[in-house]
Amino acid sequence: MCYNGGMNTEVDGILVVAHELKAPLTVLRQLAFSLNELTPQDEKVRSQMINVSERAMRQVNDLIKVHRLEDGLFEMEPVAVREVCDAVNRELQYLFRYNNRSLRLRYSNHARLVMANRELLYSIVYNFLLNAMHYSNEQMRAELVVKDCHGKVKINVRDYGPALPIDVWREIKRGWIKEPLTVSMRPGSSGLGLFIASNFARFMHANVGAVRHRDGTSFFVELPVSKQASLF
Amino acid sequence: MIFVIDDDELMAECLANIVKNGTSEVMTFRNAIDAMNCIADGVLPDLIFLDVLLDGPDGFTLMNDLVSYPDTVRIPIVIVSSLDFANRDLSEYGVVGILSKETMTPEDIENYVNKHAK
Repeated sequence: MCYNGGMNTEVDGILVVAHELKAPLTVLRQLAFSLNELTPQDEKVRSQMINVSERAMRQVNDLIKVHRLEDGLFEMEPVAVREVCDAVNRELQYLFRYNNRSLRLRYSNHARLVMANRELLYSIVYNFLLNAMHYSNEQMRAELVVKDCHGKVKINVRDYGPALPIDVWREIKRGWIKEPLTVSMRPGSSGLGLFIASNFARFMHANVGAVRHRDGTSFFVELPVSKQASLF
Repeated sequence: MIFVIDDDELMAECLANIVKNGTSEVMTFRNAIDAMNCIADGVLPDLIFLDVLLDGPDGFTLMNDLVSYPDTVRIPIVIVSSLDFANRDLSEYGVVGILSKETMTPEDIENYVNKHAK
């Protein structure tokens, strides 16, 4: 018999739990597809069922990645920031519209490449935007701005909603989010998305942070510019 | 005849309904042993939709069995799984396609049925 330490056992356990969580979500998604002869209202409900299950699966998959970051699965490479942000925007645009929010993207440099892992960067932007959608007040817009900043590329996501509570702000200042919080960060949140984004950013040696506004919060990630020539 | 092998009853039912809508005959199995017994009884499927993680012998055990016999070696198999098989070539097992349970749509199932079992 060999004892392989607590860490592997913990990771194995998380992978098993993740698989068990994904199974009902995939079934729910397929059941939604199987509905037919729907009214337009039913069709909306079906779309929501599919979207909700896909978002939950993404979070489960991201949690798996958090626990597999050191397995050599995620290579760093030159990544086009705009392409990633546009792709996330396409995926989440429907959700913003559905929840009566809008999203504005601005790029100061359209062709900038950064050193990152595309999959992880996608998840960071995705989680920041989902967070911003969740906390923006109805009819308000969230903003994603990409700009050069002290030799790095900064992706900043701003929401216009309730200000970040001071205790959460202190948590972030102490070292970002090291684990999902058991108490709500802001009403209705465990901070899971920020925990995921924080871990992915740390793995890519990127700076992450937040700015507290009176009318909302900005979350940002700063990534090193790739030495490879820019796309255009 | 099309086999759907998945230990999740609801998932198997969803897949079977899609196949039936395409007017193909379908049999569902919760485990690999029942499917193998059915084949041993003389029912040779034109196509198999196969989950990998099953109760008892897994999907790879079943595929190894199928490629061991001349009458079953050419049965096309579509893997339907939540596991990540991206960029894996499993053609030596008779695998003609890999569908992710997280992203597949009914059209994906229908395409394989039309291509391999019509």
